[in-house]
Amino acid sequence: MPGPNPQSAVIDTRPNRREALQLGLAAVVALAVPDGASAELRESPSLKGDVGDGKLPPVEQRVPEEPAVAELETIGTPGGELRMLMGGPKDTRMMVVYGYARLVAYTPSLKLVPDILKSIEVEDNRIFTLHLRKGHKWSDGQPFTSEDFRYWFEDVAQNKHLSPSGMPVSMLPQSEAPRFEVISDTTVRYNWERPNPLFLPDLAGPSPLFIYRPAHYLKPFHQKYAQKDALDALVKDTKQRNWAALHNKLDTMYRDDNPDLPSLDPWILKTKPPADRFIFERNPYYYRIDKEGNQLPYIDRVILSIADSKIIPAKTGAGESDLQARYLRFDNYTFLKASETRNHYKVRLWRTGPGSQIALYPNLNTNDEVWRGLMRDLRFRRALSLAVDRHEINQVIYFGLAVEGQNTLLPQSPLFEPRYRSAWGRFDPAEANRLLDLIGLAKGSDGIRQLPDGRPLEIIVENSGESTEQSDVLELIRDSWRRIGVKLFQKPSQLTLFRRRVFSGEASMSVDKGIENGLATAAMSPWEFAPTTQQQLEWPKWGQYHETKGAAGEPPNLPYAVRLMQLYEEWLAAVSEEEHTRTWREMLQIWAEEVFSIGTVAGVLQPVVVNDKLRNVPEQGIYNWDPGAYFGIYKPDGFWFDMSEPAKSASIDLPAASPR
Amino acid sequence: MLRYLVHRILIMIPTLVAISIVIFTIINLPPGDYFSTYIAELQSSGEAADLAKINFLKAQYGFDRPLWEQYIFWAGGLLHGDMGYSFAYNLPVNQVVGDRLLMTFIVSFTTILFTYAVAFPIGVYSATHQYSWADHTLTLLGFLGLATPSFLLALVLLYLANVYFGVSIGGLMDPKYVDRPWSLDKTLSVAAHLWIPVIVIGTAGTAAMIRRLRANLLDELQKQYVVTARAKGLRPLKLLFKYPLRMALNPFISDIGSLLPHVISGAAIVSVVMSLPTTGPMLLDALRSQDMYLAGSFLMFMAFLTVIGVFISDLALAALDPRIRLQAGRRQ
Repeated sequence: MPGPNPQSAVIDTRPNRREALQLGLAAVVALAVPDGASAELRESPSLKGDVGDGKLPPVEQRVPEEPAVAELETIGTPGGELRMLMGGPKDTRMMVVYGYARLVAYTPSLKLVPDILKSIEVEDNRIFTLHLRKGHKWSDGQPFTSEDFRYWFEDVAQNKHLSPSGMPVSMLPQSEAPRFEVISDTTVRYNWERPNPLFLPDLAGPSPLFIYRPAHYLKPFHQKYAQKDALDALVKDTKQRNWAALHNKLDTMYRDDNPDLPSLDPWILKTKPPADRFIFERNPYYYRIDKEGNQLPYIDRVILSIADSKIIPAKTGAGESDLQARYLRFDNYTFLKASETRNHYKVRLWRTGPGSQIALYPNLNTNDEVWRGLMRDLRFRRALSLAVDRHEINQVIYFGLAVEGQNTLLPQSPLFEPRYRSAWGRFDPAEANRLLDLIGLAKGSDGIRQLPDGRPLEIIVENSGESTEQSDVLELIRDSWRRIGVKLFQKPSQLTLFRRRVFSGEASMSVDKGIENGLATAAMSPWEFAPTTQQQLEWPKWGQYHETKGAAGEPPNLPYAVRLMQLYEEWLAAVSEEEHTRTWREMLQIWAEEVFSIGTVAGVLQPVVVNDKLRNVPEQGIYNWDPGAYFGIYKPDGFWFDMSEPAKSASIDLPAASPR
Repeated sequence: MLRYLVHRILIMIPTLVAISIVIFTIINLPPGDYFSTYIAELQSSGEAADLAKINFLKAQYGFDRPLWEQYIFWAGGLLHGDMGYSFAYNLPVNQVVGDRLLMTFIVSFTTILFTYAVAFPIGVYSATHQYSWADHTLTLLGFLGLATPSFLLALVLLYLANVYFGVSIGGLMDPKYVDRPWSLDKTLSVAAHLWIPVIVIGTAGTAAMIRRLRANLLDELQKQYVVTARAKGLRPLKLLFKYPLRMALNPFISDIGSLLPHVISGAAIVSVVMSLPTTGPMLLDALRSQDMYLAGSFLMFMAFLTVIGVFISDLALAALDPRIRLQAGRRQ
């Protein structure tokens, strides 16, 4: 093995995480979480009964020989039930997101560290050697080994029936599949010819790339391993069309709607759908412990009640949830705050992660030739951006609590520079008017400018008509654009229809959320800043061209868009952190100067309702999908209920017990 | 009479076939299908969909085939009781609907009972005491009930019930009973939650029923046989219940036809606002997400109930009202 001996880093037991964790170096890099001197393991009170009855082995035999030791703000006491509200039965997947048990995971400071894995060695971003924890078990007590990785790689991902569209894209840099080796029971290696910088971030994603499966559970449903007669009978019993449909139905690691599927998550589903109340119980074989030897998670059961998403703020305000942010919006804040003391919870305000809460997207691929010419004119985009009064939007709609500026990275990102947000982001109607005059768009008698072909300059902004917030912001922009002789109309349509109209070029401008990941680090993919997918409303056809490898769409033909694409390719091929940072910076610079989308405000606050007794939930946090997995990055397995506090008043102590 | 029955039953078949075609066409009219709606929804919230799995399902359920083939596949399944597969729930439709039917029945029957219990005495009273101050007051109340938007009333009652009685918001029982077997506590919890939807759904219906009963009864009370009976000294109450009220009931019996599907679908909007575990919100959701087999089979089930309901009410009318029976006999 080249480079320094990785073994030394693996066995390293220094209690300092950070030193061992550096990603993206050219040499062999080892990531390892030190074991820490753990005290004797303690049995969770709620499992003592089962252990006593012999239904479960004692805790020493359940946690891995080398468990992960959680660094927690406070050491908790096990027990309790966590109630949350969800909008539909499909939301059971949120427990996989919140649980955030990943092979590698982000810490709150956005470092990638091994989590389920004991350690990982990365060579040139090409060769990844994954070391599992010895004695790690699935939630049904069966060992979790390299066989589970092999089963997915050979029998699921490469099976024509199970995966008709082949391996996931993040396993295929430049369409090349990795070489997979099983080295021992606890070690596997993925080996690519070219760097694959997408691999680790995808493993750590909120909807992660699952490269392992509970092989012992799924094999009886796989053609290759099952007896044909038995499998045929099973398929018939469950009314599925064939074995592949049955296998796919049971294999729902992300969707999490199969209570029989073994899992590595902190809480595992116990309720068989359909239901209006889902119960998740603690995973007795979970791999994390605290410093005093308590097996995590602290909380015994998580209960998801399903209610209509519109009634969730009201139910939360009535104290029916112990931890809630999903389906709450900033405009619910005052209502929630009003019943804080009555229902024993606190409303915290976390920042959100998108680059802009609401952004305007000029469609560079619009069908109308005159409009297309205008949208591609840099001066026009800059003028529109200069005529948006971001301060007014912030004050009127967000009580001045948001961050004004363009649709780009947030100040919390290590790549952030103030000029990315401020470029062409001030309110300057005079300059905007000057730019529009330069283009030659003359004002008509009614003060509205005219297109070169004599039509009035009336921009129709299409939206999905789902949020009143968007239409409120657009109303304010309408007023300020009126001052530069541009008229704005809103056209709401249904979500699918809206996207279709943008993709096909029927819409010339649209409004939506800004870039998803405003917190990116250099190791995360800059795909949102280059035409990589049809979903990008500013250049859907160029994105489609890349997505379909040239089969549909159009090749980008604006010089800066082409350059962004090149930079993206360079980022993919890059190995070192310096190279990644360099390509990121150039892309951000181009993005700022070219104003491909017009941002308004970002970092809008997300109300997070937390029960008064729930501990270890941070006061200040980021509520973001990727990276973040919403609560996941703060590891809810370490949250706990403090029941010791004496009741301050005569009111009932338990959370929201309803007198009857 | 037997010929009439057979004729009525036979004519149901082409009716249902026609309905099924209309339903299937309308569900497929909006652009896209369940999967494209699902992908768009996920992407708009920043989540990426598992495309491999979606492509797999699309191929499995024949989304690439022409529409008429999909229709035949669906209608053929219905014939032998297979209602298809719900994509949103990842389960056969039968299993998805099953659990909610009971709750829907409870809500709807209680509402109907409530409506009858309130509307009948008031309707009769205001017809017999026409233009008295009590008639005017009750009429005003009835109009208020008709005019109040039920979803608003629902929200107000929910809030008040929570603040003053500690009843959990929305749903039909306290969350902790949802997955428990039936017990006394659970029944009490249901009763504590049930009155809000019953009042809310009931008010509008009650008002309409009062007006209709009053109008029908007024018509009858003017008739000569009533005058004759009065002149012959029949006791007023006995007279009222035995003759004019019976005649005034005909419209209610013919209502059974529309009542049956209403019992199943529930009041969708109110149920959505109150987050009731009934079938109404599920149907609305299925239509919005284009979960086509769930929506289609459900609508088909309701159409079937309507057809049966109309049939039953026709039979009941014939049985109860000799005039209709005799006329039918004469025509044949």
